[in-house]
Amino acid sequence: MSVMKLSMGPQHPITGHFRFILDVDGDLVLKLEPDIGYTHRGIEKLAEKRTYLQNLPVIERVNSYCDSAGTMLGYLEAIEELMGLEVPERAKYLRVIAAELNRIASHLYAACLFSVATGLETMLMWPINDRELVLDLLEKLTGQRITYTYQTIGGVRFDMPEGFKEEALKRLDYLEKRTEDYYKMLLWNHTFHMRTKKVGILKPSDAIKLGVVGPNLRASGVKVDVRKDEPYEVYDKFDFSIPTGKNGDSYDRLEVRFKEVEQSINILRQALKDIPKGPIKKWAPPIVPKGEAYTRVEAARGEFGYYIVADGTMKPYRLKMSPPSFRNLIALPHLCKNVPLGDIPVIYISLDLIPMDVDR
Amino acid sequence: MLEKIRKSFMNIKLLRKVFNWGRAWSLWSVHLETGCCGPEDMARACARFDTERFGTLPFPTLRECDLIFVTGFVTKKMAKRLKLTYEQMPEPKYVIAIGHCAISGGLWWDSYSVVQGVDEILPVDVYVPGCPPRPEAWIQGIRMLQEKIAKEGLKK
Ligand code: SF4
Repeated sequence: MSVMKLSMGPQHPITGHFRFILDVDGDLVLKLEPDIGYTHRGIEKLAEKRTYLQNLPVIERVNSYCDSAGTMLGYLEAIEELMGLEVPERAKYLRVIAAELNRIASHLYAACLFSVATGLETMLMWPINDRELVLDLLEKLTGQRITYTYQTIGGVRFDMPEGFKEEALKRLDYLEKRTEDYYKMLLWNHTFHMRTKKVGILKPSDAIKLGVVGPNLRASGVKVDVRKDEPYEVYDKFDFSIPTGKNGDSYDRLEVRFKEVEQSINILRQALKDIPKGPIKKWAPPIVPKGEAYTRVEAARGEFGYYIVADGTMKPYRLKMSPPSFRNLIALPHLCKNVPLGDIPVIYISLDLIPMDVDR
Repeated sequence: MLEKIRKSFMNIKLLRKVFNWGRAWSLWSVHLETGCCGPEDMARACARFDTERFGTLPFPTLRECDLIFVTGFVTKKMAKRLKLTYEQMPEPKYVIAIGHCAISGGLWWDSYSVVQGVDEILPVDVYVPGCPPRPEAWIQGIRMLQEKIAKEGLKK
């Protein structure tokens, strides 16, 4: 049989902003080549033209797919390291609360996409409805649903509103109960097993070699989490575990995400209980002293690295990001060799890639 | 000949109204995400906000769609695909520009790779501001478009 080239996306219900160039032989995909750049805005270049404070909304939109708070933390950490600024304790807790709520929202969103890829539409409606509950909480805290610009240099912008704690605890209880339903509906579903088990297996050695990060790496059985290995903010004060998978297939990648939601709920409960009283913001000068800093944080989709070179002015000299989806994208051509065409959406969605943060 | 008959039929006011009513309440939207207003696209289509109440159902095949949501910024690479998608849709077709970026470039006003406003490439019917607009705003945009369609082809 002859090999044919097939173009998939960007107008496709699964691929989002990507285009895949596939080499197909009948129903078999021999090679996949991702065509990126559909959402390239040149954020790294734009950041050099704006001041550190003006950069906040820009950085946040690297990954505004439900993970703005987690994305921004690394940037702030780097600036605060350069300034030698100590953030008030309460602000640190509030930052963590926003980031963890975001992680829950992001993983639920991933579950929705997963159910679209496997054709189980009920699971599209359930998590997205529960995600609204989390977004409501974030809206109460920050004033926006998706893009917050909540954390700022030296702290956070608003304090916790009245009644937030009780509301949050109530909703977390509900979410915890709800995850059981998800297991029944999706993870213990026979159809779902057939579509995802033993599909797109990523071996631990390969995962490390390719530089895969985040839940995808943990699904392969490698226990790496920046929150535990190199605690930032106040993550060293919480008691939580790092869920890992066994086989590293698509099924494990989703299961790890669900388990992470449970851990996030756990962290949030502790954070809401221990949050101290005090100021929420410290004044920070607009000028950042000369120097270089590299920080990494655990965003919802994996490790997010920031490298800042400051030249003693109000604007960064260079800002380099290493976003998680870009590093996970490398695994996609590796996994899509000699697989049926029908498995491509499942493998792609299981990696939880966001084109926006691949392109920047 | 057929075209003539069609035109004379469309001149009948009552018939025209029925046509417009039908069009306004079955605006299926094509799935093409261009920018980061995307998550709200999912939110407005699913359980809580449910735009299917207003006849707007996200649909994968563009040949059966009549509405295109431009969700946020459009890069120069995406602009070609957007235009291609628009051209392939059957008439009548409508465009709703979502977010500051689709309206005027928004946050990326000085970016080298972002089209400054989607109306440079497509004729836009309704603009919905916000960054990203709330799902309620999307619904308002859809309602405004429906009102616009209801008046189509009728003398003032
Ligand atoms: S309006 Fe805001 S959320 Fe929408 S694409 Fe532009 S920057 Fe992103």
